[in-house]
Amino acid sequence: MSNDNLDLLEKKIISNKIEEYDIYYLESNIYETQFIQEKIESEREVNKINYFIRILEQKGNNTGIGLVKGDSLKDKQINRDIEKCKTLSKINNTTKYYFPGKNPYNQIILAEENILKNPLDIKNKYCDILLSSINNLEKTKPSFGKFRVHIQNKFLKNNNKLNLNSTKTYFFFEFALKAESNDKLAEYWDIEYVKNSKDLELEERMKKWANNAKDALEAKLPHPKKDATVIFSPNLLKDALNPVLSFHASGEAFYDKTSSFKLEEKIADENFTIIDDGLFEGGLNSNPWDGEGNPHQKTKLIEKGIFKNRIFDQKYSILENIISTGNGIRTSEGSITNTISNLIIPSGNISLEEIISTIKEGYFIEKCSWLNPDQFTGSFGTEIRNGYYIKNGNLENPIKGGNLSGNVLDMLKNCKYISKEREYSENSYFPYIAFSNLNISI
Amino acid sequence: MHSYEEILLFLEETSNDYKRENQYFDILHDETSSLRIKKTRSDEIIINNNQSGFVGRTFIGKWKEIAFNDISDLELIKTKLPKSSEHDSIMKKNGGWKLNKEVIPQIDPQNINIEDKIEKVREIYQYLKNYDERIVNPIIVYTEDLSSRIFVNNEGCNLRQIIPRTRVFIQPIAKEGSIIDFDYYSAGGEIGFEIFDNIENKLEKIAQNSLDMLKAKHSLSGKFPIILDPDMTGLIAHESFGHGLEADQVLRDRSYLKNLINKKVASDLCNIYDAPNIENELGSYFFDDEGIKSGKNFLVKNGILQDFIHNRITASILGSEAKGNGRRESYAHSLNVRMSNTYFEPGDNTLEEMISEIKNGVLLCRGYFGMEDPLGGGLQVTSKKGYQIENGEKTKLLKSITLSGSVLELLKSINAISKDNLSLKPGMCGKGYEDFVPVTSGGSFIRVEKALISPG
Repeated sequence: MSNDNLDLLEKKIISNKIEEYDIYYLESNIYETQFIQEKIESEREVNKINYFIRILEQKGNNTGIGLVKGDSLKDKQINRDIEKCKTLSKINNTTKYYFPGKNPYNQIILAEENILKNPLDIKNKYCDILLSSINNLEKTKPSFGKFRVHIQNKFLKNNNKLNLNSTKTYFFFEFALKAESNDKLAEYWDIEYVKNSKDLELEERMKKWANNAKDALEAKLPHPKKDATVIFSPNLLKDALNPVLSFHASGEAFYDKTSSFKLEEKIADENFTIIDDGLFEGGLNSNPWDGEGNPHQKTKLIEKGIFKNRIFDQKYSILENIISTGNGIRTSEGSITNTISNLIIPSGNISLEEIISTIKEGYFIEKCSWLNPDQFTGSFGTEIRNGYYIKNGNLENPIKGGNLSGNVLDMLKNCKYISKEREYSENSYFPYIAFSNLNISI
Repeated sequence: MHSYEEILLFLEETSNDYKRENQYFDILHDETSSLRIKKTRSDEIIINNNQSGFVGRTFIGKWKEIAFNDISDLELIKTKLPKSSEHDSIMKKNGGWKLNKEVIPQIDPQNINIEDKIEKVREIYQYLKNYDERIVNPIIVYTEDLSSRIFVNNEGCNLRQIIPRTRVFIQPIAKEGSIIDFDYYSAGGEIGFEIFDNIENKLEKIAQNSLDMLKAKHSLSGKFPIILDPDMTGLIAHESFGHGLEADQVLRDRSYLKNLINKKVASDLCNIYDAPNIENELGSYFFDDEGIKSGKNFLVKNGILQDFIHNRITASILGSEAKGNGRRESYAHSLNVRMSNTYFEPGDNTLEEMISEIKNGVLLCRGYFGMEDPLGGGLQVTSKKGYQIENGEKTKLLKSITLSGSVLELLKSINAISKDNLSLKPGMCGKGYEDFVPVTSGGSFIRVEKALISPG
């Protein structure tokens, strides 16, 4: 797939006698419906392009990197952007950097043809399914919601003859479902990014979210406990693990002396394995190549509790004199961040039901207010929004309120049970996991 | 590149196509140029960003909206946004007005060389790096944005505002043995390069604060008397209380405050405002993204709830007055009811007397983050650090602390507010999980009789 705008940008760069450059060009189309209660509140369409130009100025052992983000394809503005980028490359001073060359790439399917052909029809079809699912729910109703279809065309070219493109489709939805009984009110409010339409499962999700809302009506405050066993849902697990693991496993944190992980050291329970996989079918961040053009791959971060591999982008792989693991992710401003693509935890050998049945006293938490652990320290404290108290192997009663606190780095070592069942959540495919030694306070 | 006058003409021509008696229509041109410099131990990133685009919308019983980059796509509006022949009886007419105004900072960043800006960031980095070998990674981020918004609607609004916003964030990461922690400094506002005035005199304290965190202890868990510093007070005003006052949540039947207008929601000591018309704060502007002039919302007066926070449609449906709280992150993002500068009015006590009356409690400092719960009125806010209070004295330094519970219970149990000057802290606020806009929140120190805390 060629792109005239990308070619125009490259032509301008070359005519400026610039030797080292890359151009990342992004076309985004968004089709959105927002709901207020059971009605459509707004319909929105966004069509935009962005380009990101990087120019390098080699300075012996160091490199200057200029970076501009623009969206105007007018000659005058492109020339200004290139001039500005050149200036920044002269002023900037960072560790040695050069762009990757061509590599073999795995071909994976990222876009669904029917979405590319008729995005509005597809959006409307799923909105109808959502509305019908919601109308069929018993004793719950929506207060608001959103559903979006995204189409993204990405192009990457550099002076090393790299010339890549990919087209991706994915979905986003957000809903707040409310349950009401006598004077009591409760809701389940969540969002999901879903890569493939087959994984949308809107009807099932709405039913599950509605059940969470209804259960919350009966919720009590949890019993306080200092060494609590807590089962994390896949979604909550993503909120806990992703920020902390992506930071401590990165080449950047290692180089900055802020990583707590040492290679080949035991950092987790022996049953715990986690893999970064930029090619994972159904992963939101799957793509044949990363934001710099290095091939995405599968990297075992922790295997049976042992820290096995760090993840590297181009910059930190040059510093460590190794090959990039394809973990240079483009931020929305165009810079590269050394972080995870998709995280996968293999299934355990016990069902969620069996996990619950083995716990004498504990908690099963679906959702917290905002877990948001500190990526450096791993510590967190958060209000419980939707969960259950487990007593003698049964879900005794729903719980809401009180604080769940702990430390993600400690949790890895205190992993007790891993479920057979796994669920997609954004860029994760995780099971339910029970951890010990967490703190519940009220 | 088109001039302001040319863009205005295009927008007016487009707007004139939609008759106000049949439907409300508006169009916004949003242009931002920004510079961001980030320096860490291993990286130095400098990004120049120029973005612009248009968003047109109309209300025909529901909103229809189209957003795009290029002015040549203005024709899309005519094909995507339908014309109505029915009379619009929902959207209240606010009348048109004209404005073309710019915020002029003391030291315009546009007049400072890029080399000088980078040098300033490098100087701060170098100072912190050299201060103590335990500071393993000083992270410095400088951001300047120049936002230009032109707004036209079919009620005769013809508006333009140019607003510079500058922010500095300093986070020295400290490490000793296996312990890693930090404190941080942030500043920001509708200001210019004067944001760096006197920064040299603050760096030692910033560095030492991070080093001190290496020795900090875990907080108590349970219900204790607490004092919130102005950052944390602001988080309560904005995150925990303010989001429930956004009137779109009322229309969604999703606000715990829905039936509490003219009722007591806080202690008599509390006066709470949202005011986009304060000068030079990060959450300030002359008009919002639907052309409403910025005003001042008196939300809580002596503990009694006065009003919700509105945009055009919520004010129309609920029969209230919009005071400039319809905001977008950019042309490519949704418009929602949003806060601006949200704060508690200072009170009459001194901090010293507030501390002296606590036997065993905690002072929570440095608001870090929080999450709203508009339906349930639950509360979660986290401070980066705190101090234990024992027998009327501030004692041990504590690590991050999470405060949770019921917002109304907390507001009603406020028993002292300090008379320190109003302090507003800059930040970015999301509507739920997305759509981030610049805001401030603050107040002075407030004391709460008892609240649930745990290590954060």
